[in-house]
Amino acid sequence: MSIPFPEQEFKIYALSEQAVTLVFENEINEKTASEISNFNRLLNNNPFKGFTSSVPAYTTLSIFYDLLSVISSDLPGENGFEKVSNYLKSLNSKNQEDVAEVPNRITLPVLYGAEFGPDLDEASNMTNLSVEEVIDLHTSVIYKVYVIGFVPGFAYLGGMDERLASPRKLTPRTSVPAGSVGIAGKQTGIYPLETPGGWQIIGQTPLKMFDANRIQPSLLKAGDEVKFQSIGLEEFNELSQ
Amino acid sequence: MMEISISKPGILTTVQDSGRKNYLAQAVPLSGTLDGLSARIANMALGNHEDFATLEFTYAAAEFKAETDILIAYAGDGAFLVADGSKLPSERPVFIPAGMVIKLINNPEGATTYLAIAGGFNLPEVLESKSTYLLGNFGGLEGRNLKPGDRIFNSENISFLSQNIMKSLEGRQISWPSWYIPRPYFLPKNRKIIRIFPAEEFTWFNSDSIISFLSGDFSIGLNSNRMGIHISGDKIFRRKQDELLSTAVCPGTIQVTGDGEMILLMADCQTTGGYPRIGQVAAVDLPLCAQLKPNDSIRFTEISRDAAEILYIEREKELEKFKLAIESKF
Repeated sequence: MSIPFPEQEFKIYALSEQAVTLVFENEINEKTASEISNFNRLLNNNPFKGFTSSVPAYTTLSIFYDLLSVISSDLPGENGFEKVSNYLKSLNSKNQEDVAEVPNRITLPVLYGAEFGPDLDEASNMTNLSVEEVIDLHTSVIYKVYVIGFVPGFAYLGGMDERLASPRKLTPRTSVPAGSVGIAGKQTGIYPLETPGGWQIIGQTPLKMFDANRIQPSLLKAGDEVKFQSIGLEEFNELSQ
Repeated sequence: MMEISISKPGILTTVQDSGRKNYLAQAVPLSGTLDGLSARIANMALGNHEDFATLEFTYAAAEFKAETDILIAYAGDGAFLVADGSKLPSERPVFIPAGMVIKLINNPEGATTYLAIAGGFNLPEVLESKSTYLLGNFGGLEGRNLKPGDRIFNSENISFLSQNIMKSLEGRQISWPSWYIPRPYFLPKNRKIIRIFPAEEFTWFNSDSIISFLSGDFSIGLNSNRMGIHISGDKIFRRKQDELLSTAVCPGTIQVTGDGEMILLMADCQTTGGYPRIGQVAAVDLPLCAQLKPNDSIRFTEISRDAAEILYIEREKELEKFKLAIESKF
């Protein structure tokens, strides 16, 4: 099912007739995340005929294409899968120059606690930290966006202080307001839409994490860096407008 | 200009086109028609571009009215269209004069039916598509299911081909030609056998479960929707308990949940998932899946990824032939 590339940094498998997935590593880390970001940028700057889009995840990059365009291209290979695989392989090997870019850094204002973060007290109890310590630890780190998934614009952030790790709620809420900032296990993330959710909600950002009418509808994208900043109610209301 | 008004929306009626391909990395689902073959055939029969927006009806019980003269076509197995006491034939253009009421009556064969109109439905694009995404409340008509009183127009930019088809049929009566695009021609004889190729985690499952998967009867769960079809039968067990880190999935992916149940992902599925995947449905068989109803009995059969790719290319060539044949008629 998979073709290993001995000289290469990834293996490749078919996701569908019109998509392949590159596997870079087996565990989540910063190095893998930047390899994926760099290769993704390289590919989007040098697309092949038929390329439609790419989806970065923790250790993979999936590449979607129009099969008929790929088949009609002059890429080497017996079929669509081979043609795309060969192209990706050549792209990887010929491009050794540094394509790394400084990631975007986005500061997200968050109102912690009260009705905006109904689980802040519970999180403080579970972690044996004071509410102030929870907020300090949550705002002191620079997070990395590993994946946008689950619902449009939902960013899974890595890099949270492990002292904040808390289990999901036993019974998920049927509705979590848009902008809610949550913790689940070692991850933290922001709900972009009002959806059901099982994460511990510690605060809320007034920023619109997803807006279908924006050019880039999702405020965050994989590879971005995120910092949280604690704000008060007045500032929250100003920014909500 | 053509206009229809919805008097009864039925269970679920949404606007869908070929989907939203360019925002997957922002976790915006593909969306679009569940049964792309039927929707394309309805569009082709009118001389429309195949990707034009259609109405996707789930089962029957819907009703709409021609507010003007209209040229429509429908395809799919969820319902038959009836007007003026007679059943309208599917897979071909049908002219209907203003004032006529069109009802959808039950077709026991399947679940979804697509209605196309000459020129396509005129609605704004959101993120490069007219498809409705209910969870995100965007696309289609105000991001929602259609409701009584909704009025929808066609786009006035209709092709020469559509105009010529219209001219050949318009009058005071309902009329249709004898030619049509035979949808069964594109489908296998047994529509309850779904061809799959092994997915990346296929070997994570134990051999008994793989045998069950490829030889057993499975039934369609009640809680199936545009996001996914729940498949019940023998539980699928794993021999390898590794944790899968969330990675991209797509319509046709069959995930196995922690309790051994299978979920076949459909058009509105999440863009990433963390359940191990046992199979990927051949793209040519996704239209069959779109027609499955709760309690239907199905089987899976294995083909190679190469074979799935060839089937796809062959079907596209066949569709192209019909398209050219219609163009050459007018």
